[in-house]
Amino acid sequence: MATVLEVRGLRKFYGHFEALKGISFEVREGEIFGLIGPNGAGKTTTLRIVATLLAMSGGQVKLLGYDLRENPEKFRENISYLPEEAGAYRNLTGLDYLRFMARFYDRSPEETERFIERAMAIAGLGDRLKDKVGTYSKGMVRKLLLARALMTKPVLAILDEPTSGLDVINSLEVRDIIKRYAREGLSVLLSSHNMLEVEYLSDRVALIDQGKILDIGTPQELKEKYEAPNLEVVFRRIVQ
Amino acid sequence: MKKFTNLLFKEIRELINKQLIFSLVFTLIIFYFIGQIARQEAKRAEGIRRIGVLDLDRSPLSRGLLDNLRLVRFKIDEFETGDKEEALRLARERNLAFLLVIPSGLSEGIERLETRELETYSFLRSFSMAEARYGEIFRVILDTANNYLSNEILKKKWPEISPENLKKPLKSRDFVIVRENRAEASASAIAGFMYAQSIFVPIILAMILIYSSQMVISAIAMEKQNKTLETLLTVPISRSSIVAAKMLAAGIVGLISTLIYLAGFRWYMRSFTGDIAEAASSITTVIKELGLSLTTAGSIILLFSLFLAILCALALATILGVLAEDYRSAQSLIMPLILLVMIPYILSIFTDLRTLSLPAKILIYAIPFSHPFMTTQNILFHNYMAIGAGIVYMLVVFIILVIIAARIFSTDRVLTMKLRWRRRQVVL
Ligand SMILES: Nc1ncnc2c1ncn2[C@@H]1O[C@H](COP(=O)(O)OP(=O)(O)O)[C@@H](O)[C@H]1O
Ligand SMILES: [Mg+2]
Repeated sequence: MATVLEVRGLRKFYGHFEALKGISFEVREGEIFGLIGPNGAGKTTTLRIVATLLAMSGGQVKLLGYDLRENPEKFRENISYLPEEAGAYRNLTGLDYLRFMARFYDRSPEETERFIERAMAIAGLGDRLKDKVGTYSKGMVRKLLLARALMTKPVLAILDEPTSGLDVINSLEVRDIIKRYAREGLSVLLSSHNMLEVEYLSDRVALIDQGKILDIGTPQELKEKYEAPNLEVVFRRIVQ
Repeated sequence: MKKFTNLLFKEIRELINKQLIFSLVFTLIIFYFIGQIARQEAKRAEGIRRIGVLDLDRSPLSRGLLDNLRLVRFKIDEFETGDKEEALRLARERNLAFLLVIPSGLSEGIERLETRELETYSFLRSFSMAEARYGEIFRVILDTANNYLSNEILKKKWPEISPENLKKPLKSRDFVIVRENRAEASASAIAGFMYAQSIFVPIILAMILIYSSQMVISAIAMEKQNKTLETLLTVPISRSSIVAAKMLAAGIVGLISTLIYLAGFRWYMRSFTGDIAEAASSITTVIKELGLSLTTAGSIILLFSLFLAILCALALATILGVLAEDYRSAQSLIMPLILLVMIPYILSIFTDLRTLSLPAKILIYAIPFSHPFMTTQNILFHNYMAIGAGIVYMLVVFIILVIIAARIFSTDRVLTMKLRWRRRQVVL
């Protein structure tokens, strides 16, 4: 399987505080790759750097062979980023929001419509898409944003804590969406502090703590290696 | 380009929201009502030129006096009774503001060069602008009467000499000089007219500047508050396009709302200055002779200067917007900018900015927004050097501010920059 994203020795300083202490991993074509770790581990920082939002302090990031420092615009064309706790423009309707975002990626008006149709299918919000985003519940906003992130079939979808702050039902729905639609040829890089969730969603995971990667592998490999029933126990064993 | 217009339209749609429309409509309604009240006051002021008269003398002299009052635009209601109390009752019934009683024996008294007493009664029914002008009305009545009567006396004594020449042997012809142009007019009339004409200019300037910057600051702060900025910054469009779309949208919407406010304001001002229009036709020819009217070229220079000031304000507002964490902190961050606009605005109303002392002048000239406030005067008095220097200065300030804004947006400072003292640690 070809490598889509390659992260090598990534470092990030916030002032004197070193949030990432040399992180390396790769995301392969068509896989869901999960970063798991406790709050403050450096997951958001990593995703933000890959999403071109933060400048890195050291290391190298490559997407389809393009270097992030040299070609940030190549990254922007080929990724879509769902930030942690993100929102949408409250004065626009859901449909207007999708159209607004689609126009940045389309090559023809027909393609815009295709993107929007796909997004409508993903979000599953029905007629509520005609209402203003300001009237949506948290779960609806998240589904709208997720649909937005997946509708253009990006090379790499970056999802930061896609289910955080949602109730059980909405979390389940969001997880189903990711699992179902992400398989259509695109790669996903997601983060979560919920280890069971990542175990369910991801093909491969990286355990991260205090800016360092502890181990990488498929959930099955890791569980066998540390003789643990689930990733939570794996994580506890490594930290001890 | 498609991406840019897409972004621009979204920005404009975000800006034209309920709050904006509400405040526009609300202001227009306020202007409308104040205008209505002012118009009613003006009508009442007209009303007090209607006076009741009881002429107890009934001589040719008293008739002449009444004719003279009619000449100075008083409407006269004469009572055919011989009784003062009866006349007062009638005046009250007809809702008149004044009753003027001409005493019997006025004619004979004047013949004998004795003074006589004119009695005036005024009905105070409320205390407003109209009543405050009663004194003025009395003086006009008395002056008119005195002038007429003294003319009559002089005519009798020296029938061959015009009484006006006798009373005012010295007359004046007034000339005004502006640069090389000369015209016959009174200096205070010209200055007053120019002031009334140009009073709108600083108001428009200040309003456009403040509205547009407020919009750009709120637009950026709202993106932060609604957590949409991060998504926007990862879409495939250059960061400078994002900054430009925000600034342009704010400029357009700021301009439109200013025009609407201005229309409302003119509407309201017209109720006060309706009569200026009449006087204006004669004065405008003099204004042209003096070269004091703005030519097309002059207007273009003024607009260009304003345009540059708007650009500076928008760029500064963009930087301030990045510092804001949410909508509320944006409202306080706009204060320094408003202050920078209000200083030259207020000063330009009360003084000529060009005549300030040197330190004050340096301070004022350093504020880029001061320059358009001085441009009209500078055009009229042909200070082209000052205009040019102002334009160059604003251009330089704008370029510096835009470079700073673009730098901030193209690095991660757009997300990490915050005002220290407002910073809260959020730990999940
Ligand atoms: N803008 C910032 N300035 C300073 N420190 C930060 C900033 N953002 C994150 N950090 C710190 O970096 C560390 C990693 O944060 P983050 O990547 O958000 O963790 P995670 O997403 O895994 O919870 C944390 O200790 C956090 O406090
Ligand atoms: Mg995080």
